Amino acid sequence: MQRPDWAPDTIDIERPSVARMYDYYLGGSHNFAADRAAAQAMVAAVPEAPLMAQANRAFLRRAVHHLAEAGVRQFLDIGSGIPTVGNVHEIAQRIDPESRVVYVDVDPVAVAHSREILAGNDRAVVVQEDLRHPERILAHPDVRKLLDLSQPVAVMIVAVLHFVSDDDRPAELLRALRDALAPGSYLVLSQVSDDGRSGDERAEAERVYRRTDSPLWIRNRAELTALFDGFELVDPGVVWVPQWRPDTPESAEDAERAAFMGGVGRLGD
Amino acid sequence: MRPSWAASGDSVTESPEAVTRPGTFARAWAKAVSGTSYLPMTQAQLEALLHRLTGQLAGALLAEPFDLRTGHRVGAELVAAHIASAEGLGRTVEVIQLRLVRDLGLVAEDVEDRMARLLAAVATGYARALRDRTLDEQESIRRAAMMARTQAERALRASEARFRHQATHDPLTGLPNRTLFTERLTAALNEPGRGAQRVGVCFLDLDRFKVVNDSLGHQVGDRLLTTVAERLRQTLGEHLVARLGGDEFVILVEDAAGTDAVVEVAESALAAVRTPAVVDGHELQVTASIGIVERRVAGASPSDLMRAADSTLHWAKSAGGARWALYDAERNRRELARYALSAAIPAALERGEFYLDYQPLTSLRDGRLLGVEALVRWRHPELGVLRPDSFIALAEETGLIVQLGGWVLAEACREAEAWSAGGVEAPFVSVNLAVRQVHRPGLVQEVRALLRQTGLPPERLQLEITESTMMSSAKEPVRALRVLADLGVRIAIDDFGTGYSNLAYLRDLPVTELKVAGEFVAGLRSPAVGRTDERILASLVSLAHALDLTVTAEGVETAGQAERLRAIGCDAAQGWHFGRPAPADRILARIR
Repeated sequence: MQRPDWAPDTIDIERPSVARMYDYYLGGSHNFAADRAAAQAMVAAVPEAPLMAQANRAFLRRAVHHLAEAGVRQFLDIGSGIPTVGNVHEIAQRIDPESRVVYVDVDPVAVAHSREILAGNDRAVVVQEDLRHPERILAHPDVRKLLDLSQPVAVMIVAVLHFVSDDDRPAELLRALRDALAPGSYLVLSQVSDDGRSGDERAEAERVYRRTDSPLWIRNRAELTALFDGFELVDPGVVWVPQWRPDTPESAEDAERAAFMGGVGRLGD
Repeated sequence: MRPSWAASGDSVTESPEAVTRPGTFARAWAKAVSGTSYLPMTQAQLEALLHRLTGQLAGALLAEPFDLRTGHRVGAELVAAHIASAEGLGRTVEVIQLRLVRDLGLVAEDVEDRMARLLAAVATGYARALRDRTLDEQESIRRAAMMARTQAERALRASEARFRHQATHDPLTGLPNRTLFTERLTAALNEPGRGAQRVGVCFLDLDRFKVVNDSLGHQVGDRLLTTVAERLRQTLGEHLVARLGGDEFVILVEDAAGTDAVVEVAESALAAVRTPAVVDGHELQVTASIGIVERRVAGASPSDLMRAADSTLHWAKSAGGARWALYDAERNRRELARYALSAAIPAALERGEFYLDYQPLTSLRDGRLLGVEALVRWRHPELGVLRPDSFIALAEETGLIVQLGGWVLAEACREAEAWSAGGVEAPFVSVNLAVRQVHRPGLVQEVRALLRQTGLPPERLQLEITESTMMSSAKEPVRALRVLADLGVRIAIDDFGTGYSNLAYLRDLPVTELKVAGEFVAGLRSPAVGRTDERILASLVSLAHALDLTVTAEGVETAGQAERLRAIGCDAAQGWHFGRPAPADRILARIR
């Protein structure tokens, strides 16, 4: 008997999860042996991997902070992963406690963990969905309940687009999201980029991630810039993440070592 | 001298000298731990934090008595601020050891000794906090994995339950389907331990449901089914009601209290269906038929029960519907035997088990043998010789009559042709045609071919059709019969006066003869009834003669009857008085 497609997946913690590997890079202990083994293999291939994750996380922090300061009160964080430290709702709600945040992740463990973290916070919620189904995300009752799409929303797609292959048509996914957004909304995008890195490192990194459910899909600056189609890029555009509005000039040094490129775009009126 | 800021412990004074020197150290410390783990704060926030901790460390270094707890607290605070990695601790130890005393210009007698103990306390506090944090995080991620797994399993169970529900229920009405019904019936039969002694099954089928579908559309039909399903569910609450498909429902009466109890269930089901229903503005009143089987649980099998209920349903249907019928084993046995018999016809034809007897049709005017009616016999290997009434009706139901009737017609033509060999005026042969044979295209060609092949003159063949044959409005049969009549074949109406008796077709049809049904003739025996029958017969005869038709009376058994028929003017007669059915040569022997 064929299992119908709405039958749920099972949970296998023997298989590395990219969300928990990311937690490991950030110094967290929300991970299992299989995640650590895969993350250590990644570090062996690309020693800067933890630094990359940290730089990307810092980019997220600065971007959310910037947008909250600019008046954005609604955030849709797709591919939010394991909530560890410096989560979007913590940053946004520190600036305005009324800020509303919806986290979306496809990893059921990450979602369960988020749900526990968010218990008691009625302005932040987590939804189990896949970035590859923007229509389902937008139609999700929890998304509809918490976010008012007639008002600006910041859509965060941070450190997750490199798990979406070109076959999944990322430009179309982003367009579907964009079409649902009100003017004044934002897109925050970052992903692994290989501008100026060695082919060996790239191949090795891709090999590590083939063990997970989410193989890597690396993109360069031009490709990433093209994905902001329809948005006006906020200064300084698509850059290595440490270069995006750094706290101090020193923290932007050796920015290409971060291997993450990102930017913020605004949807015009 | 002790710097002024050290006295306050964890707050920084406004003294420019004091701010500068711990600030230098704190910046160096911040730089050392940057990048050891993700820090959810700006560089300035980090420096401010470390600045505060610097004050505590400096205070601890100089305090009397020396208090290890400050070191522990600083270690724990670092971890709480997410400066929580092995590298973070290593670099912290290094920077404190190398720069704290120097940058802050601290002076104490046993400063080296105190520094060692302070670093040990910081490392201890740090390691404890990091261990706790690691354990907490491990616990929390395991809990999350467990929750996710529980959720996935619950979802799987729900999906399986949904899948199982889908597999066992009818999507239209939401009632259990055949699968679930069979399961429950099987369980009821296999678990007599549950105390149930008897079980009842009611097969329910809507009468003429097809008409609703055909005339009002399937949507209305579907809504009607939904309505009926809901009513049955409500009325028969405690009994399982399932939809088998189409307009077929079935009710399981577990632990039946006896036949009467099950009949009661069937009657409430019939009443529930009978109540008019308004569907899409149409007021529909439908009825249902029910086949009931009620028997002991012991020895019953689900498939037998279902089969029995199904055939019982057909009895209710063929009795006109809107009723229940109760299973009757004897009747079922007879029907099965009949079914087996009809199924054996094709093979029997091949093996030549059929043969013809003939019954004389005698002229009432001069006693001459005018013709003979061919009557088929079946020499069954086990049951002996069977008369047509035991298999013709079956053959008509199953359609085998076409094959069998074709054989009779051909055999009759073949045998009749030989009768003229003696030079005597040979009788015609009269063959019954079933409705299906007449309505079948190709009858004309079939008869023509037979006449050609056998050489039988057309006027020596008579085809007997019943009134019901002509009841259909189809034009083709009339045309075919007219062609045959034009060829010279005689056409007789069999059993005239008992069926439809529409005289209109007599106008259209090239009929040669009316055969008047035996029951009118039977009446001639008793003077009381006989009067009426005699008058009917007399009028039929005069009607026939007026239309230029001859009349043959069937079922003539006595000389008295024959005499009275002759007096009325009836042309010919058939019956035991004139001769029982017999093989052709025996009949022919009488005229040779």
